[in-house]
Amino acid sequence: MKTFEVFLKKDGKTQFRHVGSMQAPDAEMALPLARESYARRAEGDLMWLVDRDDLIVADDDLIAPNANKLHRHNDGKRVADHRRSHRDKEAGE
Amino acid sequence: MNNGLSPGATEWLLAFADDEHIIGARHTSWIGLGPFLEEDLAFCSIAQDELGHAIALYELLGVDVDRFALLREPSEYRSAWLCELPCADWDLALVRHWLYDEAEALRWESVANSSLEQLRFLAARAQREERFHLDHAEMYLRRLAHSGAEGRSRINAGVASVLPTALGLWEPVAGEPEAISDGITAHSSPELAVLWRERVETKLAAWGYDWQWPTEGPNQQRRTQRSRHFAQLLTDLQEVITVDVDTAW
Repeated sequence: MKTFEVFLKKDGKTQFRHVGSMQAPDAEMALPLARESYARRAEGDLMWLVDRDDLIVADDDLIAPNANKLHRHNDGKRVADHRRSHRDKEAGE
Repeated sequence: MNNGLSPGATEWLLAFADDEHIIGARHTSWIGLGPFLEEDLAFCSIAQDELGHAIALYELLGVDVDRFALLREPSEYRSAWLCELPCADWDLALVRHWLYDEAEALRWESVANSSLEQLRFLAARAQREERFHLDHAEMYLRRLAHSGAEGRSRINAGVASVLPTALGLWEPVAGEPEAISDGITAHSSPELAVLWRERVETKLAAWGYDWQWPTEGPNQQRRTQRSRHFAQLLTDLQEVITVDVDTAW
């Protein structure tokens, strides 16, 4: 048996969303079985299946160093404060 | 039954409806028991489609569907014995599913231009669903033919076991000539049986299975006799409704 990742999309502007995984003997059989497993109530209008063997999976180590970089979580507050104080100074002159 | 149809047309539609109902009920008994989860869902979805066809056909007869479907005397049903078979092994259920759906596809083709408007609409919907049902059965049978000795020999045995009973699908009800002259259906059961045999044998040969065409089908007496499996099936189906037949579920 092979494992497939299932993606569905409704017509319109929404993007494809991962809805789950499933097993099937091969790609041809995966399509109708996915239809019944994930779209039998017409949950999506379009469906993608991806063979899990074809996924390019990142090492944990690849992403881990980025877990501790607060400067990449800028909420804009410091920049906004800086600009405000600059503006105030100009107005005072 | 007050439905504006002749007795022959009514009986013909009844046989079709009962086949769909009983095969749907048999297929649903695989829920939770299919060979793997995804197949379990797919097969039960097919079963639901067949039950949906049964409901729509019973509605054409103008009956109270639940009571009519479940609370008749066995002699009042017109189901073919193929539908009544338990098929307790998955290989038998699969072979039965394929043989039945090959036949069902022909029946819908035969009513695609029916004189009965709602039946034409229903046929259009059912034919879309049936394409998936047949593909589903064939995907397995094609693969099992080349899956090794066990799959192959089990399907060979399944065909040998189920095919004689399947011939009974083409035993017409007494009312069939009237249904044809009313324009309900275009073709007689013997005519469709010829096409069915051609399709079945062509596919078995292409997949590489062995079979012998049976010489005779079951003695259903124009579908007025039920098989020995029917009484227990009906008891099981009635288990809920008989708790209180007047309750609206």
